[in-house]
Amino acid sequence: MGWMNRLSNLFRRDKVGEELEEELQFHLDARLRDNLNAGMNEAAARHDATRRFGNATLAKERAHEVNIVMSIETIGRDLRYALRSLRKSPGFTVVAILTLALGFGANIAVFTVVNGVLFRPLPFPDPGRLFLISYQSKEGGLGLFDRDYLEYQRHVQAFEQIATFNQDSATLTGAGEAARLPTADVTSSFFSVLEVNPAMGRAFLPAEEKHGSNRVVLLSDKIWRNRFGADASILGKAITLDGIAYSVIGVMPAGFAFAHEAELWLPLEVGGDPGNFTTRAVVGRLKPQASQQQALAELEALAKHLPPLPVANREDMFAEVLPMKDLVVGKIRQSLLIFMGAVGFVLLIACANVANLLLMRGTSRQREIAVRNALGASRGRVIRQLLTESTLLSLGGVAAGVLLALLGVPALLALAPAAGVPRIEEIHIDGWVLGFALLLGAFTGILFGLAPALQATGNRVRTFLALSGPTLTARRATLRSTLVVSEIALALVLLTGAGLMLKSFMRMRAVDPGFRTEKILTMTVDLPDASYPTVTAIQAFDSSILTKLSNLPGVVAAGAVNFMPLQPVLISGDFTLDGGRKLPRDYNVAKPDVSPDYFRVMGIRFLKGRGFTDQDNSSAPGVVIISQSVARTLWAGQDPIGQRITMEDEPKPKDWLTIIGIVDDVRQRLTGRPLPAIYQPYQQVTRPFFLSHMSFVVRTAEQPQSVATGMRGVLHDVDKYQPVSIAALTDLAGASTAETWFQARLISTFSILALFLAAIGIYGVLAYAVTERTREIGIRMALGAKKSDITRMLLKRTLALVLAGVALGSCGAMVLTRVLAKFLFEVKPNDPATFLSVAAILAATGIIAGMLPAQRATKVDPVAALRWE
Amino acid sequence: MRTHTNDRLKGTLDLLVLKTLASKGRMHGYAITLRIEEISESVLRLEEGSLYPALHRMTQAGWLRSEWGVSESNRRARYYSITPTGRKQLEEETQDWVQLTEAVGRVLRLA
Repeated sequence: MGWMNRLSNLFRRDKVGEELEEELQFHLDARLRDNLNAGMNEAAARHDATRRFGNATLAKERAHEVNIVMSIETIGRDLRYALRSLRKSPGFTVVAILTLALGFGANIAVFTVVNGVLFRPLPFPDPGRLFLISYQSKEGGLGLFDRDYLEYQRHVQAFEQIATFNQDSATLTGAGEAARLPTADVTSSFFSVLEVNPAMGRAFLPAEEKHGSNRVVLLSDKIWRNRFGADASILGKAITLDGIAYSVIGVMPAGFAFAHEAELWLPLEVGGDPGNFTTRAVVGRLKPQASQQQALAELEALAKHLPPLPVANREDMFAEVLPMKDLVVGKIRQSLLIFMGAVGFVLLIACANVANLLLMRGTSRQREIAVRNALGASRGRVIRQLLTESTLLSLGGVAAGVLLALLGVPALLALAPAAGVPRIEEIHIDGWVLGFALLLGAFTGILFGLAPALQATGNRVRTFLALSGPTLTARRATLRSTLVVSEIALALVLLTGAGLMLKSFMRMRAVDPGFRTEKILTMTVDLPDASYPTVTAIQAFDSSILTKLSNLPGVVAAGAVNFMPLQPVLISGDFTLDGGRKLPRDYNVAKPDVSPDYFRVMGIRFLKGRGFTDQDNSSAPGVVIISQSVARTLWAGQDPIGQRITMEDEPKPKDWLTIIGIVDDVRQRLTGRPLPAIYQPYQQVTRPFFLSHMSFVVRTAEQPQSVATGMRGVLHDVDKYQPVSIAALTDLAGASTAETWFQARLISTFSILALFLAAIGIYGVLAYAVTERTREIGIRMALGAKKSDITRMLLKRTLALVLAGVALGSCGAMVLTRVLAKFLFEVKPNDPATFLSVAAILAATGIIAGMLPAQRATKVDPVAALRWE
Repeated sequence: MRTHTNDRLKGTLDLLVLKTLASKGRMHGYAITLRIEEISESVLRLEEGSLYPALHRMTQAGWLRSEWGVSESNRRARYYSITPTGRKQLEEETQDWVQLTEAVGRVLRLA
């Protein structure tokens, strides 16, 4: 911005002031000299000079003021002139602003999300001092073993206080319909670390962590309002969670839902007993004078002295102290940064387009600029004027872009997978976003305005009348071509990214999970220990539900499994082979407990042997069904049927289980590998722990949701205190590809935008080239060139541009698609098929965009063309 | 006739400066002072200091162009010259002036 310089002039008073001083001094000295020459004595001469000059200070001040006032007036003049000039060519202005609005809109929308998720401070006092503490192996996630937590708590100096917590869920009954709610188990230090106090009541006391006095609960503001009618006398009242009464001691402030949307907080006792290998998240508040490095050093020093663990190798574990935001933001950070990059590309393409528009306009404004030059405007002055214009355009684009972003942000969030965007309530267009938009606009205005302004005011302009300008035209054409080539290259990079993501998504959808997802409805329950203390009670519940489900109209078959595929929770572990043979090192299998009809409902292929029946119950000999890969790994070339295994470390005779069948492997996650599994009939399970979480699956004759009401009724009949959680298996499968689908769709949207803008760019440049070369085309045609020759000539130019862009873009994509590697599934970042098809798409688009102007060129009338100008 | 919104005296000084530079080309401030005194046979006496704000104002307005040069006494001095815009301005101001003085003359003769 030229007028920014002007403004800074205001503060550069010194230089201007010195020059003024020198100028006035010169006047006084000259008068003095003349007076002396005229014969006055020195004193009189000096007096006369000063008298004639009048008030020197006043003159100085006045002259200086003039400079300042004029600076501001110039800015105003530049702006008025820019506005007038833009109004005079509304077509140009509208196209430029719309193009920029697309670029800015996408950028502002994505930045709004980035700002809300990544940049906004966490809603706790002084959140910069909150850190996560972790000492785990790479696979272990973030957190500390309970015993390490206790040890660290004893020694820690850098933190004021630390707290540990875990997520859980609980069934709330007796307050409206039974519901499964997310909960957090937290130590009594949790709220003082976060420095959040209950809005009503009090937080946990250390004594309340202890077993026996821990039947107390804190409610979220939401639960308090929705479930308890904002009861002002709730404190001290009892609520029922998993069948147990808890006394309400407080209500948290509105909006507080840490960690992970918790609705209820329960006290947590961190046990130091030798059998406890629980790992939990740990958060600490740093002392004001301590640093993150200090805390880390302390943790590392302590880690060296921790006793060995039977379940994990200390050698593989490493200490980490991370800002707490990392826990909240999670893995979306990388997606967001990639989106920022993608929209950045879109904006660059938009800029290239507008720069091209300005270049073409610059050509048609040659005369105007030459006239202004001749009238005494300096080159700097004209550049300043042109930059004022481009900045004004850019800010127009920003204004339109903010409007687009207002629509774009909700659209973007709607595309996101459910619960895929953390801190969604923090996402809105605020002062920071607007500030970002303005800065981006100002910067962009100069970015796309500078080259055209320099070009338009180049030295040759002054002589443009004399030199009818072939050199000049050529130079402009080069700049324009460069811009178009970069646009194509940028669009290609984006399209390649989109192609890779789409291919990943398609690969995911094509995965055979080992079961069928269509026409299956699932219902999951978590039975509380209080109401179902024994295995027999749970089995009675399950069998009653299964009988009722199979009798529902529309249900083909009903089954049950404790840990369903596509769900995150799973029990896995090792086992013992009969005959003393050892398992391969680190060999783990999934251990689902299922009802006899489970395999039929899920369409899991039976390969050998028999399935479970209702006779395989607690009084019958123990049996298991193994999955194919277990058979391959442990009994290669033999028949595993009839072989025996046990899940117990010290098996009694009845703990030996006979293998009766082999089924296909199943993927627990669509993007994961098929897992080896050993299935047990649920009737033979001996510990309630394995059965308290249970999913019922029904195969339906028609569309699965048609039996949802019936299913709900069955659960209510058997136990009306169980919350209902029903989902179609296809939806669960969809959820596991949702993130990839989101990324694929978003990047595709941006790349289509990019492709569209690049196509407009190519069209614009060629259309202009045709206009510019009308005379040349006319001469060629007059000299006998055929229409096809002219078309070929122009298409050759298009092709050259497109090929250069594609080549450049492919190189760029080779480097840049590597950032996607983490998000790709069974596709390499430099997948040749994707690269080739994207290049083909771009080339085709480029040629089509170039075809229209080429067609128009053939309509040039040679006679008219020769008379042109 | 155009109404005078600006200070008449300021306008007069502008007119004198423009006219001087139009006829004599490039000059520094002191030379302009001398030239105006000389032509008006010292009838028009400037308060010399007030010349400079006017010169700067007219430069900013684009009527004058200023640059540093070396004076006849071999010192650095700021020289002013008139721009084409300035010439146009001079034309207008001259016309205004003539109209004004004619009007005043008529009033004095006939009133």
